Amino acid sequence: MKFSYNWLNALTDGPRQSPQELSNLITMKTAESEGVEPWGEAFPQVVVARVEHAELVPDSRIVKAEVDAGPLGRKTVVCGAPNCRAGLLTAFVPPGVTVDGKEIREATIRGVLSQGMLASGSELGINKDYEGILELSGVNPGDPVPGCEPDFIIEIDNKSLTHRPDLWGHYGMAREVAAITGSKLVDPVKIELVPEAPCPFEIEIADGKLAPRYSGLLVENVTVQASPLWLQNRLSSIGLNPINNLVDITNLVMAELGQPMHAFDADKLRGNTIYIRPATEGERCLALNDEEYVLTPANVVIADQGGPIALAGVIGGKESAIFEGTTRIFFESANFQASNIRRTSSALKLRTDASMRFEKAQDPENTVRALARALELLLEVCPDARVSGGLGDVYYPVPAPAPIHLPHAWLERKLGRAIPREEVKRILSSIGFGVAESADGLVVEVPSWRATKDISLKDDLVEEVGRMVGYASITPQPPHTPAVPPHENHEHGQHRQVRGALRALGFTEVYNYSFVTEKQVAAFGFPSAELVHIANPIAAELAFMRPSLLPGILQNCEDNLRHFDEFQFFEIGREIHAREGHGQLPVETNFLAVVHCTKADGDSHLYALKRVARNLFNGARLEPEAALAHEHPFRAARVDWQGETIGRFFEFHPAKLEARAAVLYVNLDQALRLQPGIARYTPLRRYPTSAFDLSVVVDRREYSGKVQDAIVRHAGDSLVDIEFLRVYEGAPLPEGRKSLSYRLVVGALDHTLSHDEVTSVRNQVIAGMEAEGSELRV
Amino acid sequence: MTAFESMEASLREMEVSAKEQIEACNSPEALEEVRVEVLGRKGKLAQLSKNMGTLTHEQRGSVGKLLNQVKGVLETAFDAQNQRFATAVLQARLEREWVDLTLPSRGPRRGSLHPVTLIQTEIEDVFRSLGFTVLDGPEVETEYHNFDALNIPPHHPARDMQDTFWMTNGTLLRTHTSPVQVRGMKQLGPPLRMIAPGRVFRNEEVDASHEHTFYQLEGMMIDRDVSVAHLIYFMKTLLSEVFKRDVTVRLRPGYFPFVEPGFELDIQCLICGGSGCPVCKQSGWVELLPCGLVHPNVLRLSGINPEEWNGFAFGLGLTRLAMMRYGIDDIRHLLGGDLRFLRQF
Ligand SMILES: [Zn+2]
Repeated sequence: MKFSYNWLNALTDGPRQSPQELSNLITMKTAESEGVEPWGEAFPQVVVARVEHAELVPDSRIVKAEVDAGPLGRKTVVCGAPNCRAGLLTAFVPPGVTVDGKEIREATIRGVLSQGMLASGSELGINKDYEGILELSGVNPGDPVPGCEPDFIIEIDNKSLTHRPDLWGHYGMAREVAAITGSKLVDPVKIELVPEAPCPFEIEIADGKLAPRYSGLLVENVTVQASPLWLQNRLSSIGLNPINNLVDITNLVMAELGQPMHAFDADKLRGNTIYIRPATEGERCLALNDEEYVLTPANVVIADQGGPIALAGVIGGKESAIFEGTTRIFFESANFQASNIRRTSSALKLRTDASMRFEKAQDPENTVRALARALELLLEVCPDARVSGGLGDVYYPVPAPAPIHLPHAWLERKLGRAIPREEVKRILSSIGFGVAESADGLVVEVPSWRATKDISLKDDLVEEVGRMVGYASITPQPPHTPAVPPHENHEHGQHRQVRGALRALGFTEVYNYSFVTEKQVAAFGFPSAELVHIANPIAAELAFMRPSLLPGILQNCEDNLRHFDEFQFFEIGREIHAREGHGQLPVETNFLAVVHCTKADGDSHLYALKRVARNLFNGARLEPEAALAHEHPFRAARVDWQGETIGRFFEFHPAKLEARAAVLYVNLDQALRLQPGIARYTPLRRYPTSAFDLSVVVDRREYSGKVQDAIVRHAGDSLVDIEFLRVYEGAPLPEGRKSLSYRLVVGALDHTLSHDEVTSVRNQVIAGMEAEGSELRV
Repeated sequence: MTAFESMEASLREMEVSAKEQIEACNSPEALEEVRVEVLGRKGKLAQLSKNMGTLTHEQRGSVGKLLNQVKGVLETAFDAQNQRFATAVLQARLEREWVDLTLPSRGPRRGSLHPVTLIQTEIEDVFRSLGFTVLDGPEVETEYHNFDALNIPPHHPARDMQDTFWMTNGTLLRTHTSPVQVRGMKQLGPPLRMIAPGRVFRNEEVDASHEHTFYQLEGMMIDRDVSVAHLIYFMKTLLSEVFKRDVTVRLRPGYFPFVEPGFELDIQCLICGGSGCPVCKQSGWVELLPCGLVHPNVLRLSGINPEEWNGFAFGLGLTRLAMMRYGIDDIRHLLGGDLRFLRQF
C-alpha cells in the first residue's frame, strides 16, 4: 500500500518530519515501510506554455511549434502529438529536466532545433493518457502545471497491514502519524453534506451477517469527464489509474478512508430496489473486467429486479457501469463479511482493491462518512450535481465489543518494564481508544475501526502500548526460573554422531529437495499407493514427496561426475510414505544415504564404503540378497545389525549410472531403536593365547562370510578372535576355485592352552569343515 | 729401578698407549678388540696386576690405587668412543630418513557438513545450554497444526502470507516450523522451553534469493510471567553467540496471528555497523526474525490456561542465517547438491 506524504500531511496538523523520518517512525511504531520514493521530481521545472504557431514539418507527421513559455521565453519545439495546435495551453518541459525516465535535451529533428518538449499526461506520470499533450485552461504561460506538486511516496508492506483494516486508507495512517508525532488528526469528512430525506431507492439486505450495512445516495445531473489534474495526480502517485471523474472519486475516497465504493449508472438500474443477497446457483454476472462469472449461493451479489449488477465487495457489473453519457448515478458504500468476500475472491481468482480491503474486515461505521466525502468531491468536479432525496441506509450493527479490562500490574509484567498509568492513558487515547480508570488499571473501549477483528483482548492492548512507548525502552532481562536439564533428543544426537563420523571419514553432506518427478518414480518403481501427491506442485512434473532419498543421490552422482572423477558424500533426510485416508499424515522416516562414487573400475570403492558402514554400525553384516531394480545384480546386499535388517548396501546398476557408485542406505530411526546400551567391560585375559592359520578351498562365488561363520561355529568357546588373511585364486587351485585363509586365535580364561589342546581345537575345526564338504589346505 | 718404580712406569705407559689405540679405532668392532686386549680378563691390566705379588704391603696399596685409577680413565675413554660411534650411526640413519613433507597426502579428502547443519548445530547448543529441548515435527502436516491451532482460521488473510503446498488428501507441507510449537505444548505441557529446527516449504518461484524449500528454527518458552524483556534477553543472547560478538537488536511491530504482541526483530547491520550499506539497503538494520508473546488463543487451543501461563515464541530463518554467516549470495546452492559448493564448509 502506497501512502502519499503530502496527503498524510494534509490530514494532520502539527510538527512535520521529513519523508524519511516519517517512514522510519511508521516502521518502528506501526507497520513496516519498504522505503520512500520521490514523486514528480520534475514538476517544479515544468511550466505552462501556449502554442503560438504550429506547422507540419514537410514530409512528416510531426509539428514544428513556436511556444510562449512565459519567463522562459519563446521556444521552438518539435512535437508529435496530433492535438498540438495554435492557441493550446499545455505543459513545457525545458532541456535538462528528466521526465518519464528520460532527460530532455536540445536536439535537431528533421532539421529543426527542438528546445524542449511538450508533454502528455503519461509523460509527466499523472495519468495514462499518451494520445496527446496536456490541454490546460485558466492558466497563463510560465505558471506551474496546476495540481502537479512533487510528493514522496511511502510504501508500506501489505503483509504488515493484514490485521489493520483501518490502515488501508490515508486517514487511518494519519491517525497513527498524529499519535506518533503528537500532531492533530484532521477529519476530511463533512458528514452534514448527506441530506436527511428518503432515498428514491429501496435497499433490501437478505442476510445481515453477510452484509451488515449498505448505504447509498442517488445523485443527478452529473457529467462524466476527466478529473482535474490534482485528482489524477494524486491517484497516479499511489499507483491507481485515473479513469473518469466519477470512478476517480470512488477510488480517492477508498484510498483516503479505506472504504471501497462503487458508482452505478442509475438509469440502467431496473426497478427501485437494490437487493443484497446470495447468488442463486449458476447465476451469471458480467463484470467490469469483461469476465463473466458463474456464481453459487456462497457468493453475495448486489442485484436489481433484473439480476446481479455487481459482485458484492469484489467488482462492479458491466451492464450497470457508468459511461460517457451517464447523468444519474447511485453511489454505493457498503460493508460485507470479511470471510465471505475472501472466499468469493479466492474462488473466482479475482483480487481487487475492494476485496483486499473488505477481507480485512472494514468498519461498518465508515459507509456514510465515505458517501459524504464522495459527495463533497463530486460537487467540486460537477458543481451542478445534486442529490435526489437523501441517504439510503440499512444497517445490522454488530454488537459493540465489551470494554477490555487492562490491569496495570499485568501490563507491566507483560512488557517487562514499569510505565506510568497516565502514559498508558495518553497512548491509548491518542489512537482513538476510550479510556476509564478502574481499581487496578484501566477499562478500555475499542473504537469501531479497530473492533472488527483486530482488538478484543487485553493482550492486544499490550501491543498498542508497547509499540507507542517503544520497545527500545525495555531492558533485556534473564528469566527467574529454576534450571532444569532439557529433554534429550536422541534422534538429533544420533544424526550428529553420524554426521561427525562421516565428515571425519571424508564425506560431504548434501541436502536434496523433498520432491521427486514422475520419471524418477517410474525409474525406481515406487509403488504408487505409497506416494504422497502434491495438489499444486511447484512444477507439474514435481508432483510427489520423495519416498526414498535414492533418486536425489543418483542425481547428485550424475551432476558431480561432471566435475570430479571420485567423490564421497552423504545425506540424512526423510522418506515420506503415504497412509490411506483424507487428512492422514504420511509416515516420515529418517534415512541415511552414504555414497562413494568413482569413474575407476574395480571394487575397491565397495570395500572402502563397507569399512565406513562398519564404522557407523559396529558389527553390521552385509548379507548378499536378490538385487532391487536399481541395484547391480551381483553387488547388492542387505545390511543386518543388532538382529534386524536396517538397510541396503549396493552399487548402482550400470544402466542407471555410467560410473560406479557404492551406496549404503540405512533406516536411521530403526538403527536408533537398535542402538546398543552402554557396553560392559570385559576382564583382560591373564593367560596367553595361541594362533594358527587355516585355508579353505571353495567355489569362486562362495561367500567368505559363510565360511567364516562355519569356522567360528566349529572352533567353539576357545576361539578368541578370527582374522581374515587373504583370498587366493590360481595354480595349483583348479579353475573356478579359491582359497580363503584365516588366522584363528584361541585361549582359555583360566589357564594357558597346552599344545595338545590347541591341536585338538584345530582338528575339531578341520573335521567339522570337512564334514560339511569343504576342502582344507592344511 | 725398583720393582715398584718399574710397575708404576709400565702402568703409565700402558695408559698412554691404550688411549692412543682407543682413539685410533674406527669401528665398534675394533674398539671391542682393544677393550678385550686392555681390560679383558687376560688383558694387559690383568697381567700387570698379577705382578703385584712381588711388592710390599704398602707398595701394593699404592700400586692398587694407581691400577684402579688407570682402569677408570680407560673405561671412560672406551665409553666416550662408543658413544661417538652410536651418535654417528644414529646421525646416518636420520639423514637417510629425509622425506618431503610437502607432498600431498593420500586417502579421502577432508569431509564437510552442510552450512545449514553447521549453524543449526551451533544454535541447538546455545539453546540446550539455556535449558531448551530440541523437538522435531512432520514435514507433511495437518491444516489444523499448521494454521488453525496457531490462530489462523480458514479464510484468515494471514494464510495468504504463506503460499502453501497442498497434498491431494487435504494435508499440506508445513509452511513454517511453528506447528511443532503446538505439538510441543501438547506433548510436554508447561513450563516449556523448546526449539524446533526443520525444513519448511512455500510454493514460491525460485530465484537467487527465494526458494520453495528452506530451513527455519522455531523457539518457544512457556512459563509464568514471561515478558517482552525476557524475549529480548534470549534473542540478544542467541544472536551474540551466533555472530560471535555483541549485537544490537531492535523490536518493531510485526503481525503474526499466533503472537500478540508480535514483533519483527532487526539486528544492527554487521557489515556497516549501522551507518548504512547495500546489504542493509542503507537503513543500518537487517530484518532477522519474527517473534512475540504467544497469543492466548494459541495457548488455549493447546490446552494451556493463558491466565496462568504465557510465553514467547520466535522463528529464525536458518537458511537466511547461514547465507549471512558464509556470505552465500545464491540460495539455490543450498539444495543444489554441488560438491564444489558444499566442500567449502
Ligand atoms: Zn549495512
